[in-house]
Amino acid sequence: MEMNDPLRKEEKKESRPDRDDSGPTSPEPSRPGRDSLLKRMKKVDPKQTENYKQRTGQ
Amino acid sequence: MKKRIFGIETEYGLLIKDNQNFPFDPTEVANKVKNHVFSKKMGVLDLHYRANDEPPGNGGFLLNGGRLYLDMGHLEYASPECSNLMDLVTYDRAGDTLIQEAIEELGWADQVSFIKNNVDLETSATFGCHENYLVGRGFPFDERENLKILSSFLTTRQIYCGAGRIGSCDPHPFRDWEGGAPDESSGDEVDFQISQRADHIPNEFYRWVQYNRAIVNTRDEPLSDPSKYRRIHLLVGDSTMSEFATAMKMGTTTLMLEIMQLGVAKQEWILEDSVQSMRSISRDPDFKWHVKLASGKSSNALELQWDILNTCKEYLTGKNRETDWILEGWESVLTDLPKGPEAVIGRVDWASKYWMLTEFKNEENLEWNDPWLKSLDLEYHNLNKESGLFWGLEANGEGYRKTTDAAVDFAKINAPRGTRAQGRGELVKNLINEHSHMSYLIDWIGFRLSKIDEPFLMLDPFISYKDEIMAYFNPFGSLSDQENNTDDESNKTEG
Repeated sequence: MEMNDPLRKEEKKESRPDRDDSGPTSPEPSRPGRDSLLKRMKKVDPKQTENYKQRTGQ
Repeated sequence: MKKRIFGIETEYGLLIKDNQNFPFDPTEVANKVKNHVFSKKMGVLDLHYRANDEPPGNGGFLLNGGRLYLDMGHLEYASPECSNLMDLVTYDRAGDTLIQEAIEELGWADQVSFIKNNVDLETSATFGCHENYLVGRGFPFDERENLKILSSFLTTRQIYCGAGRIGSCDPHPFRDWEGGAPDESSGDEVDFQISQRADHIPNEFYRWVQYNRAIVNTRDEPLSDPSKYRRIHLLVGDSTMSEFATAMKMGTTTLMLEIMQLGVAKQEWILEDSVQSMRSISRDPDFKWHVKLASGKSSNALELQWDILNTCKEYLTGKNRETDWILEGWESVLTDLPKGPEAVIGRVDWASKYWMLTEFKNEENLEWNDPWLKSLDLEYHNLNKESGLFWGLEANGEGYRKTTDAAVDFAKINAPRGTRAQGRGELVKNLINEHSHMSYLIDWIGFRLSKIDEPFLMLDPFISYKDEIMAYFNPFGSLSDQENNTDDESNKTEG
């Protein structure tokens, strides 16, 4: 496999708006994908930072 | 030097979600994950002491030429030496992937998360992401004015390399010999800052890597022929999730080193106080990033970075395709940063995180110091693609990938070409397969297979040594050869 091509094409998927595209168009109130990100964020345990007990490294 | 070699070392944080009921503590989990990777024959564990705190089995070299080990309780992955940015980003992600896959294979993916960040937001513990750049021995590293120029660059690059964090920690507890730490406001007054490491860097220059960390680490440990090379080892940077940010962090820094080598880096870039600027840039809530130069003039991090970029363009444009890609990416991010964090989502980690946290904060009507937001800060760095917040950006098409999944999979078990990592990968492959009966002692600069054999030195990182290593094994025969010979002898005896 070729690993040394600095011009390997960058992947950028098409954005996927959360809302249905049908119906009348209106100004975009927020960034596409925002709602799916907020859903993902809501699933995070609000207290998990308290369980993150790390030792100092380098 | 015309050619480049880079490497990244990452110390991972480890989160056990229900640590009251999980049977192992984080260090035990890290150890089991490391052992699982080696049990899959993806590398060979050390058979010897590397240091007092690195006993046999503490870590080992991988088929991809990199290294996985425990360091001060953290699982750490050191990428193999890479000759270009594309390989470097690919092998950095390969390390993340093989660790996450190990957690999943152990059945702990729902209970344990590897967090690729650099701070514990509750205790202020910090752990690093170290950058390695190979330069010629003649690089002007011993001239303090040159190092001050490098320090200015590293202090200001955080505007596109920072990973961002909520809050702060008590700064500079170890800077006491310079008249005491500056009087700082308490961490509670900082809502969000753009760098994870800024609070943990009390010095401009120092050679050690724990406590008293410095913007420019001056330790001279070349891990190669010291008469030819120097390894510039930096610990000031944040771990980055965005492939673009990783490539920019390493790419712009290597161009900065190249204009220093050419003698065209400008003394007018020197900051009056880099350590103070590191912190003030990171903590500026308005993202104006004002700095004061040693000349007495006022400037800001963006202007300084533009000036450095323009000098790099003047002297390095057209050097090769990789250089031109770095210059274009650098210019694009400096152009877009003034438009606000939303303009660089996916390319700049602190901006991606800031935008996501701000949206959530407003949605849920939270304060910046709310534990939920801190938990989300951690989750941005979770290697688990099912839950980690960065991966949500990538799923939305905002990740600006440079690699492909196929290339990352390849890089888990194959070494990059163009450096001695390729020979090391061949060595590890032989020790796993045909020569698994042999003893060994491996380090970055070479190996030996028994006490009586001369060490095989790999002092030039630009040489692959692959053919030499394959030839080196020939006299030993393979395990199957030895078994056949034993069978032959046995047959003769029986006959």
